Amino acid sequence: MRRLGVDVGGTFTDLVLWDDDGTTTVHKTPSTNEDPSVGTMKGISALEVKAEIDLESIDMFFHGTTVATNIVLEHNGDDVGLITTEGFRDLLHIARKKRPLNYSNYQELPWQKWQLVPRRNRRTVPERIDASGAVLTSLDEDAVRQEARLLRERGVAAVAIAFLHAYKNPAHEQRAREIVEEEFPEAFISLSSEVASQYREYERFSTTALNAFVGPKTSNYISKLVDEASAAGVSDDVHLMTSAGGLVTARSARQTPVSLLTSGVVAGLIGGCAIGAASGYPSVITLDVGGTSADVGVAPDGRLRMKHLLDTRIGDYHAMVPMAEVDTIGAGGGSIASIDEGGMFRVGPRSAGAVPGPACFDRGGTEPTSTDAMVVLGWLREKSFLSGTMEVRPQLAEQAVRNHIAEPLGQSTEKAAMGIFTVLAHSMTEAISLHSVRKGYDPRDFSLVAEGGAGPLFAWHIAKQLDIPRIIVPTHPGITSAVGLLATDIRYEVPTTVWTSSDQADIDLLAREVARLTDQAVAQLKGDGIPDEHIDLECSVDCRYVGQGYELRVQAPSGEIDADWVEQVAQAFHEQHGRMYSQRFDDKPVQLVNVRMTGIGMVPQIRLPKIAVGDADSTPAKVATAQTLMWTDDAGSPKWVDTDVYSRELLRAGNVFDGPAIVEQFDSTTVIGIGQRATVDELGHIIIERCAQ
Amino acid sequence: MPMTGVSLAPEVPHRTWNSVEVDPITLRVIGGALDSMAKEMAQVLYRMAYSSLIRESEDLGAGIFDVYGRELCESDSTPMHCGSIPAYIKGVNRRLAGSYRPGDVILHNHPYHGAAHSPDYGIIIPIFWNDEHIGFAGCTGHVSDIGGNFPGLCMDVVDVWAEGKLMDSMKIYDAGVRNDMLIQHILDNVRTPEQNRGDLEALVSCARIGEKRFVELLETYGLDTVMSASEAWMDYSENMLRSRIRELPNGSYEAPIGYLDDDGKNRGVPLKVAVRVDIEDDEVLIDLTGSNDQVPTAFNVPFEGSVLPVAVSAIRTILLDEETTPEYVPQNDGCFRPVRAYAPEGTIFNPDFPASCFARFSQVNRVFDSINLALAPILPDQAVAGSSSALCAIAYSGVAEDGESYWVYIEINEGSYGGRNGRDGLDAVDALMANTRNNPIEELELNHAMRAERYELRDESPAPGQWRGGIGSVRRWLMMTDTFLGSEADNRSDPPAGVLGGADGVSGSFVRNPGTEREEVLHSKVTQEVVHAGDTLEIRMPSGGGFGDPFKRDPFAVLHDVWDEYLTSEEAARDYGVVVDTERWVVDDAATSALRSRDSQTRNAEN
Repeated sequence: MRRLGVDVGGTFTDLVLWDDDGTTTVHKTPSTNEDPSVGTMKGISALEVKAEIDLESIDMFFHGTTVATNIVLEHNGDDVGLITTEGFRDLLHIARKKRPLNYSNYQELPWQKWQLVPRRNRRTVPERIDASGAVLTSLDEDAVRQEARLLRERGVAAVAIAFLHAYKNPAHEQRAREIVEEEFPEAFISLSSEVASQYREYERFSTTALNAFVGPKTSNYISKLVDEASAAGVSDDVHLMTSAGGLVTARSARQTPVSLLTSGVVAGLIGGCAIGAASGYPSVITLDVGGTSADVGVAPDGRLRMKHLLDTRIGDYHAMVPMAEVDTIGAGGGSIASIDEGGMFRVGPRSAGAVPGPACFDRGGTEPTSTDAMVVLGWLREKSFLSGTMEVRPQLAEQAVRNHIAEPLGQSTEKAAMGIFTVLAHSMTEAISLHSVRKGYDPRDFSLVAEGGAGPLFAWHIAKQLDIPRIIVPTHPGITSAVGLLATDIRYEVPTTVWTSSDQADIDLLAREVARLTDQAVAQLKGDGIPDEHIDLECSVDCRYVGQGYELRVQAPSGEIDADWVEQVAQAFHEQHGRMYSQRFDDKPVQLVNVRMTGIGMVPQIRLPKIAVGDADSTPAKVATAQTLMWTDDAGSPKWVDTDVYSRELLRAGNVFDGPAIVEQFDSTTVIGIGQRATVDELGHIIIERCAQ
Repeated sequence: MPMTGVSLAPEVPHRTWNSVEVDPITLRVIGGALDSMAKEMAQVLYRMAYSSLIRESEDLGAGIFDVYGRELCESDSTPMHCGSIPAYIKGVNRRLAGSYRPGDVILHNHPYHGAAHSPDYGIIIPIFWNDEHIGFAGCTGHVSDIGGNFPGLCMDVVDVWAEGKLMDSMKIYDAGVRNDMLIQHILDNVRTPEQNRGDLEALVSCARIGEKRFVELLETYGLDTVMSASEAWMDYSENMLRSRIRELPNGSYEAPIGYLDDDGKNRGVPLKVAVRVDIEDDEVLIDLTGSNDQVPTAFNVPFEGSVLPVAVSAIRTILLDEETTPEYVPQNDGCFRPVRAYAPEGTIFNPDFPASCFARFSQVNRVFDSINLALAPILPDQAVAGSSSALCAIAYSGVAEDGESYWVYIEINEGSYGGRNGRDGLDAVDALMANTRNNPIEELELNHAMRAERYELRDESPAPGQWRGGIGSVRRWLMMTDTFLGSEADNRSDPPAGVLGGADGVSGSFVRNPGTEREEVLHSKVTQEVVHAGDTLEIRMPSGGGFGDPFKRDPFAVLHDVWDEYLTSEEAARDYGVVVDTERWVVDDAATSALRSRDSQTRNAEN
């Protein structure tokens, strides 16, 4: 069986071809942002040659794309019309009426400045359903027809239909869709009861409008890719990664593109989980550091944690869709260091990007970046970028750090460079502890997976700071996201709002809803052609104490829905509440707010290939000795030390070496600190652990 | 109080730590840690809380303070709360200084001793390090009911005892031992005991997380380094603000006199708000001399807990606007230092004990608005036209089904901003000192016997200006059961002011049963009004004033306003001199030029 994973990022498109026999072929090609399918198809052709295979022999094609994400970030979606309940025309305009900034007269409200639907295209029709789902005012079908015609005349490309309490009773939305389809068959239609079937009208409406906003373009892109892939001979349907960390079929992704928005960063987390599991360490913290940002994820036992639905944002908008918890902070290789007006030392979130880039790239950048700092520290050598194919000028790095930081602060250039690194590493440490220690998870129970080109430059220090016992540096840190695409299952999550409390639980309602969601999830998977024996189900419940406003998600047991099931859910919630807030109230009733059923179409798991075996002696892989600036102990100040430099390609399973050391490979460099020992495992992963000095 | 005013920044008699040199990197790291611990505190509070004001509206504040009550960091929740915690600490210190022990948890809400107002429960925990008391973790949150004469909100009450149960520096935990009897006593005297119990637990958890995180920071860096770094950050914020003040010309700047509708009892008697901003070198004095005498209702303002925070927030907002200031300037004690406020005793902004001062937001928000208006002539790029300065809070309540408590729902209706130089006013958003969230209609309808009939931008056109005023909202509730209504609102008689040629904004209103024979306009402040099942209540919120001459507005923007049904084409022609072709949705350029030049000739002739 052959699987192809293609992850389209902002700069590069990464491809991985994996064969059941263990052969893996990787390829990297520049992304083509105008039409990403061009880069993808080019990459696939190159891979075909490199791996010496026929595209027809590819059994599964997995794809991660930022097409929808970019539309949102660049505000260039399609014109959208909204049909909504009379009296509630401006819910998208009022939003939650809280300003993003406390102390600002001149801020803009993103939902008003970059409206998903301008007011003229927000159309209301008489209809009303109450909180119990009962119809108070029946749908005025003529009004829907009239508005559909108007929107068609105005040339919108998509129509969002969102009515109050439609999560409880979708009948009016469904009927409205039929009418819009009759009047305006070419429109992309998005229903609130399908996109995000949960209470909280603003968030649901916004998600529905966002789906419509990215819908036509994303849908077209996916169709085009499917056609081109099929024309090139790839027999499989394209599967896409969602923000929840599952795969969906092209059919589903085209209907609900809003579910794809954070898939890029989530793929990195899943890749890290797969790598950790393959090396025997399932509990991982992932750190993916690129040019402008760092993504941090925490997965106890390799399980993804989902964000609270009020925190699931993308750019300036709210999207109430399941998103795995990954935090992105503005700290990367291109982060710029500066001294501000008040004399304060700052690093990031401003980034030099690819252009003008770090000063040492000599492309016009003069401000010092994190990359420049690492060149000064000796960790990044002149010939270490892209195997020496890229010129780097260390004296420019030194000059930038000296002029912009060291001299204004009255420090040595080395100290200033170390400062740039420390401040950036600290912001990553804070982000990790926010998602681990502060959520009740002990970093000492985890391994840190260093991903992206720059992750392995930071991981050694962060692991020390947080007392994380082990770092795993994947064989190809730069393509972890593409590996993630191959390492997950097909997943559909269907939610519903139930509102019942544990002391007087409506068992019938719960049983009915769970059965309905189960049918819905199974039908979706069967529609994708997943055979029964590969279908699995997971149920979770969003709970809170009766009277609170924020839910925590807990796993529900499988099996019959009865009083015992409710009790087990309540117990799981008490535990979760205790972990999150250090307090639990076992005597208080628990409100079950939303039930979520995830249908899983299991994909056979990949086995990562093994590398050639060597012995403990790593000297054959040693290519140089360099001078680098390192901390010699936890308290002391940094010193220049002799540092062994290894070539990643020459490392063999079983090799062992101690820090200080540097490992160089095509698109990444790994630092091993003093007091740390690196061991190469059978998969080629470098495992870095603390050792006695 | 000296006529030169007082500042929110506490005095520091002597330092109990050694000032040490902190390298710029450690400084940065400690600054980041302080920032994130305040945010984490707030998150714990609003996620655990029960009162909808805390959990949905985020009507709360949290931060870490040194042993003198200086604010080291604050959460980014609502400005009204955070600036007030130093005053709570001062109030608590006056009774308990010297008697703190590890494990103490103190509850405080006394409006004459630092509380922002009595429903804002404050929890203060003293922080110890090596057996020495070195600081406080503190937080505040608005609970649903505190006893007193009326459920939820009150207006026509005789004094501070009638507004609710007062807690003056009460140790609910004494050296780690919980005083259950005291807590029970407190809860027995409120109408929403279960909610308040949950809120109290959330407040305590919030302060404890702050205490824990700060101690962790001390464990890593030691007291001397942490305090020296904190001082450096406070000095940084202070210097940034002082350097902005220094750029302004010295002088006294007066806002136009503002009028509040009435005191909630003596109808038709407006209350005067006089605001003068004195700039002297790098200091600012907000002088409220000339404002109304105190009133015999709850419509007075606690000076320390409410007037001082608004003075600080307004100056910081105008001079170090977070949107336009490239540096991130943390809000801390440093921002308090260059700003003082003065209000004569016995006035609405500095009432004599025991006058009630429960309902104070509309007045302080008017002070913020007036500071904007006073500075608009010298800071046209930073100030805004008049915004909806009232805070429209409405308490809906009734006896709960169990017959043993009340249901109380307090809703804060959003306002809008005045036009800004280069940008229109923000529509339907909490303005100035307020920054809360609304509650989902779908949740309210499930939990309360109320049904929303309308929630939209209001129909009246916005205030004309080159940059038009923001548009307020309209909300209509249908009551499904007999409901008590209490409100504190304003901005009925004196709408938001236009500046530099912009038109004044539009007043707000409360109407019962609009569009029916029983239609009735209610006052902005009502006390225990009964609304019957089947009645509707329509709330219209003020629209902000315009900024600059509307005849200079970009015709394309006017076209969009007509297209979006904010204006009629007649209004576009009359108020903006723009002729819109509503068939083809384009501006009729020729007709517009003709209309605009005719207007400027008329105006020249008039001059």
